[in-house]
Amino acid sequence: MKKSLCLSLAFLLTFLLLAACKAKVKEVPPPPQAKEQPKVEKVPPPPPPPLPTEEEIFRAKTLEQLNREQPIKMVFFDYDKYFIREDAKQALSANASWLNKFKSVRVLIEGHCDERGTEDYNLALGEKRAKSAYDYLLSLGIADARMQTISYGKSQPIASGHDEASWQRNRRAQFTIIAK
Amino acid sequence: MKQRIIIPALFVFLSLAAALALRPQQEVVITIKDGMPMIPVALPDFIIRSSSAPVQAAAAEIHKVLSDDLKYSRVFQLLPKSYYGYISALDPDKIVFKDWESIQAKYLLTGVLSPGESGTIQFEAKFHDVKGERFMIGKKYEAAARALRRAAHEFADEILKAFGERPIFMTRIVFVSDRDGNDELYMMDYDGENQTRLTFNKVIDYMPAWSMDGQAIAYTSYRRGNPDLYLFRPFEGKNTAVAAKGTNFAPSFSPDGKKLAFCSSLDGNAEIYVVQSDGTDIRRLTFNKSIDISPSWSPTSREIAFTSDRSGSPQVYIMDAEGSNVRRVSFGGTYHDQPAWSPAGDQIAYVSRVDQVIDLYVLNLRSSQIIKLTESNAINESPAWSPDGRHLVFSSSLPGTNQIYTIDYDGANLRRLTSKGNNKLPDWSRR
Repeated sequence: MKKSLCLSLAFLLTFLLLAACKAKVKEVPPPPQAKEQPKVEKVPPPPPPPLPTEEEIFRAKTLEQLNREQPIKMVFFDYDKYFIREDAKQALSANASWLNKFKSVRVLIEGHCDERGTEDYNLALGEKRAKSAYDYLLSLGIADARMQTISYGKSQPIASGHDEASWQRNRRAQFTIIAK
Repeated sequence: MKQRIIIPALFVFLSLAAALALRPQQEVVITIKDGMPMIPVALPDFIIRSSSAPVQAAAAEIHKVLSDDLKYSRVFQLLPKSYYGYISALDPDKIVFKDWESIQAKYLLTGVLSPGESGTIQFEAKFHDVKGERFMIGKKYEAAARALRRAAHEFADEILKAFGERPIFMTRIVFVSDRDGNDELYMMDYDGENQTRLTFNKVIDYMPAWSMDGQAIAYTSYRRGNPDLYLFRPFEGKNTAVAAKGTNFAPSFSPDGKKLAFCSSLDGNAEIYVVQSDGTDIRRLTFNKSIDISPSWSPTSREIAFTSDRSGSPQVYIMDAEGSNVRRVSFGGTYHDQPAWSPAGDQIAYVSRVDQVIDLYVLNLRSSQIIKLTESNAINESPAWSPDGRHLVFSSSLPGTNQIYTIDYDGANLRRLTSKGNNKLPDWSRR
């Protein structure tokens, strides 16, 4: 044991001596001084601001803003008719999902007609159209307390032309958000 | 009308002979109504006992009002002015009836204007029977210049009454106009003068109907966010709600003045209801899931004409005032609406839609004969009768905007009454 300790000590000494000699022999010029410019470091981008939830976006908007954006899409009807067409069913399903997302919303469903009927019959027909949209939304699970209907007959057209394109735009159920 | 039918047929013959005899000089148009000609009246210029400009202007205006009224009556016709040149000038204190008879006048209307006290104008009107050489009726009015128009209408009514006719020249037409922005109620004289705004709600006010005494107007207003029915007394500034659930519209007062029929969806579907004329005691008359609208009373107040689409398309029906005994009266079309029962009870005016055009028709309930009143590529609707049953007021999209017109029972004499904004839904007062 003592022998081996002596041996390893001897080794260590020789190694140190050798190393010392080597260092002295190989005297090299100091490495060139690093240039005085700091290393360009990439600054990490600031963390993104927290994204508002859909709920928060919705809350921030006024009723006017919401109604301007019309998140609840109008649905259109055939001439003299008030049944819900296939295209209207899709629109109403989308409307129902939106209403399910924002459960505090209450809507006024307005029924409108084109100019080609009488004032009297159109007022009744507009009401039937509003009622059809109401019933369809009710069947999709929207609570009746959240919906109200009104008819404007032909008194509030959105298209002023006297052609089928305008008439089709005017034969509609339109949704106005009245509370949120 | 009935009274005039009993005038001997000889009269027709004589008048026609007169018309033929006069042909070389002047074109005379005699329109035959139920086989009867209109009564020729001479209306020479009024005598003006003043040189003041306001009196002169008033004379011209009153003369024109009386002349227009008598022409509109369909009872009288005015002699052509040129005839007056054939005889000596009128002296109102010493009328030479033989002269007037010689130019075919049966009656003579004379007027004298003179300045009254404190800026007013006096107007003395006299109506004479030429053949009988006698004075019939006369009135003396004293009023400010702007009120003389009414005096002239009043005297024209006196003349109608003297012939057993219903007066119409003081009647008014209530209607809806958007001339000031949104649909509000307005009224005007029967001839379109004095258009006056009645409501200031800044919301839709709609479908007005006069009460029988001309003091109240039932109408629909969206002022509380729902189309509710109101009873409005414009000359007292009173407005009371009658029905305020569902859509409430198309009011119609019964001719006996006791009831008000209207359309409402207060039970969920458009049905016809009746209340007392003060708005109380509501009763439902129709019970079915189709649309029942546009009630119009018979002159006896025992029946109601209305529109229903129970057959699949809107058609005109009649029921008893209690809602029983429903029978259909319109056939041969796919869209009939807005029945308006004539004051004599023998006719119903209504509209029919054919190929996107809506025109006015009149159905004779006795003969089942139908007359088409309007012929245009437009929407003509909302007919309402004048109290004498000789004219109808309605709205038309003919000029590109909606305007109010009157037309005679036989389709003659179309006249436009409005021009500002869009005007619609007229109703003619009963007095």
